[in-house]
Amino acid sequence: MSNYVILSPSAHKNTKVITERGAVYGDQVKYAVTYPLEFRNIQSSYPIFFSKSSETGEFFPVALLGFENNENLFLSDTGWDAAYIPMMVERQPFLIGFQTSDEVEEGKKPVVSIDMDSPKVSEDQGEALFTEDEQPTEFLKSMMIRLEALHQGYEHNKGFIVSLAAIDLLEPFTLEITLDDGSTNQLLGFYTINEPKLAELDGDTLADLNTKGYLQPIYMAVASHARVRALIEKKNALLR
Amino acid sequence: MNSSVNRIVIVGGGTAGWLSAGIIAAEHFIAEHSASDAQSSQGFQLCLIESPDIPTIGVGEGTWPSMRSTLQKMGISETEFFRECSVSFKQGTQFYGWITGKDDTYAHPFTLPHKYSETNLAPHWQSVRDRVKFADAVCPQSRLFGDKLAPKNIATPEYAFNLNYGYHLDAGKFADFLRKHCVKKLGVVHISANMTAVNSSDNGDIVSVTTDSHGAIEGDLFIDCSGSQALLLGEHYGISLVSKKQYLFNDSALAAQVPYQNAEDPIQSCTLSTAQSAGWIWDIGLPSRRGIGHTYSTDHHTEEAARTELLNYIAATAGEQAAADANLRKITFDPGHREKFWHRNCVAIGMASGFIEPLEASALVLVELSATMIAEQLPANRQIMDLVAKRFNDKFLYRWDRIIDFLKLHYVLTRRRDSEYWIHNCETSSIPDSLQELLAIWQYQAPWHRDTSHIDEMFPSASFQYVLYGMGFTTQTDPMQRRADRETAKMAMSLFRENTQRTEQLINSLPTNRELIDKIYKYGFQKI
Repeated sequence: MSNYVILSPSAHKNTKVITERGAVYGDQVKYAVTYPLEFRNIQSSYPIFFSKSSETGEFFPVALLGFENNENLFLSDTGWDAAYIPMMVERQPFLIGFQTSDEVEEGKKPVVSIDMDSPKVSEDQGEALFTEDEQPTEFLKSMMIRLEALHQGYEHNKGFIVSLAAIDLLEPFTLEITLDDGSTNQLLGFYTINEPKLAELDGDTLADLNTKGYLQPIYMAVASHARVRALIEKKNALLR
Repeated sequence: MNSSVNRIVIVGGGTAGWLSAGIIAAEHFIAEHSASDAQSSQGFQLCLIESPDIPTIGVGEGTWPSMRSTLQKMGISETEFFRECSVSFKQGTQFYGWITGKDDTYAHPFTLPHKYSETNLAPHWQSVRDRVKFADAVCPQSRLFGDKLAPKNIATPEYAFNLNYGYHLDAGKFADFLRKHCVKKLGVVHISANMTAVNSSDNGDIVSVTTDSHGAIEGDLFIDCSGSQALLLGEHYGISLVSKKQYLFNDSALAAQVPYQNAEDPIQSCTLSTAQSAGWIWDIGLPSRRGIGHTYSTDHHTEEAARTELLNYIAATAGEQAAADANLRKITFDPGHREKFWHRNCVAIGMASGFIEPLEASALVLVELSATMIAEQLPANRQIMDLVAKRFNDKFLYRWDRIIDFLKLHYVLTRRRDSEYWIHNCETSSIPDSLQELLAIWQYQAPWHRDTSHIDEMFPSASFQYVLYGMGFTTQTDPMQRRADRETAKMAMSLFRENTQRTEQLINSLPTNRELIDKIYKYGFQKI
């Protein structure tokens, strides 16, 4: 379970964060949540599909990492084997939220929280968060920049998803793969871009998607399907 | 003369009028039409004349699962329907006091018994009947609605389900919602006017109806949705009502809208039906309020006695204050249906065609079935109309008979002898011959597919099972006598176990009715 507390120099002066990747650090997951602003980077390594939240029924894009629960085919003894790591993985064990405040102009102050129950949190190894004089370390500063980018990406994604749903551009699909040993794996419960429908969109709809910055990520998601082959190869390699 | 049937005029709004308009328009007017197009076009025209002065009765507040596909075909978003019509999920009916009048209960869920198409579990349940109620043994739904759970979750696409469901809704809001949809999306022309005269041609067909503010409205087919007055079929054509009071005694109702004690009180996800001394009380949970009413027989009960029983029920379930505040509305009806429903170029739908106590929520489903048949078989010309009319009349007379049989079944199995009402209900003279025959057969064989003689039967044989075995009926079958049954006996036990597992799994994973409705308001359903 998670145990998020608001980050503060006084409470977390001895807290460190482990930056290595591995199963023991909670990285053994089948997919990572992603968002359109990082699709360009994601599609170079991972297939992008869409999943549905069991809490709200809303769609969210995911980078596929494996075919079974608790399977991350990018994870090896030496770490995470990919050119780019999804931001939602990178941000762990931190979360960003916003508090209403009079101090800043927009009335919202970013608040960073840390999951004290995360296996990445330690007192004796990893990167420190605060200096002796209670200032954020370079590590924490770079993390904050990522968290803000993540927040922007999250907000942008909301509009993206609503637009896709409004023009019925998502469709459920089942991926059935056959491995070298003859066994089959079925990937259920994911959704993808309906390509025939995409090809039939009229000019006005395309222009609207383009203006909002949604058109490029749609094609990035389509292009990312080419990464499924590589993922199957990784799975086959495990069998050898 | 070979006159085509293009102009359809519906007389009367309400849920019957607007639901019919929507169903017919969805079949024939799918392309976008503006009101002016529709009037000038050579194609189909559909207009609905609604009196601004007559309030709708709005009693039909429960639907069958069929309403899902009806709404979907009309292009309605289920999310909007929930948000605008005070809708909640209905998964069946829970009956109280119908067997002995003392703490007895049984369920009639919408979901068929587990693997119903392959195996009839009813004979096999006989051996475990003392340990588990029939509905609980064969289907997860009765336990689910016992816990006031929803039949799906927010990630389930609109109109899809884990367990089959219909709706409870606010009939007034529903009619308004349908009106907007029909006019804006389906090209139905709405005429707000009072009808003042019906004008006939020489051959006796209706050529037009005169209105107070829009002159004469001409048409090729007139649909009478004017309510129990049946202005066209009844008053104009004199097609009389066939009373069924000899079988189903209830002819009056007292209805109230009752607030929840707390805004977060659970919403029932089935209709509650509680037997009284000369009738029964319905209790329908909407998100905003409950609709509670008492339908009773005036031959067996005074209005005062019915009122007292209803107020006692409200006091017991919603508090003394709610009972004191209750504003009771009286509805009287002659239980039965018109001698025929389609005469010349006029067909009646809704209360104009007949009305019976809402024991199995048959009112709205009859509207759906009637309008669907008209939409699908809309006569191409006047010559063929009489043949379509005959088919329609045969089919709906048959359906009314099946409804009466099925409703009566709820009464004849009672062991109550505490009032004349229940005693009279069990007298042979009050039981239709067709039902007596079925009861005789069911003593020796459990209902199953062989009992449905029509492919589009009103009630599936499973519904008969739920009521029969829910009320403690005994079928003297020997499950080991037939070869096929011997083989299915083992299968049946594993199906019972599967059902238990599936029930537990669903109970642990589904939200409550109220939780899901709150999420629909907040997030909405996805289409896929």
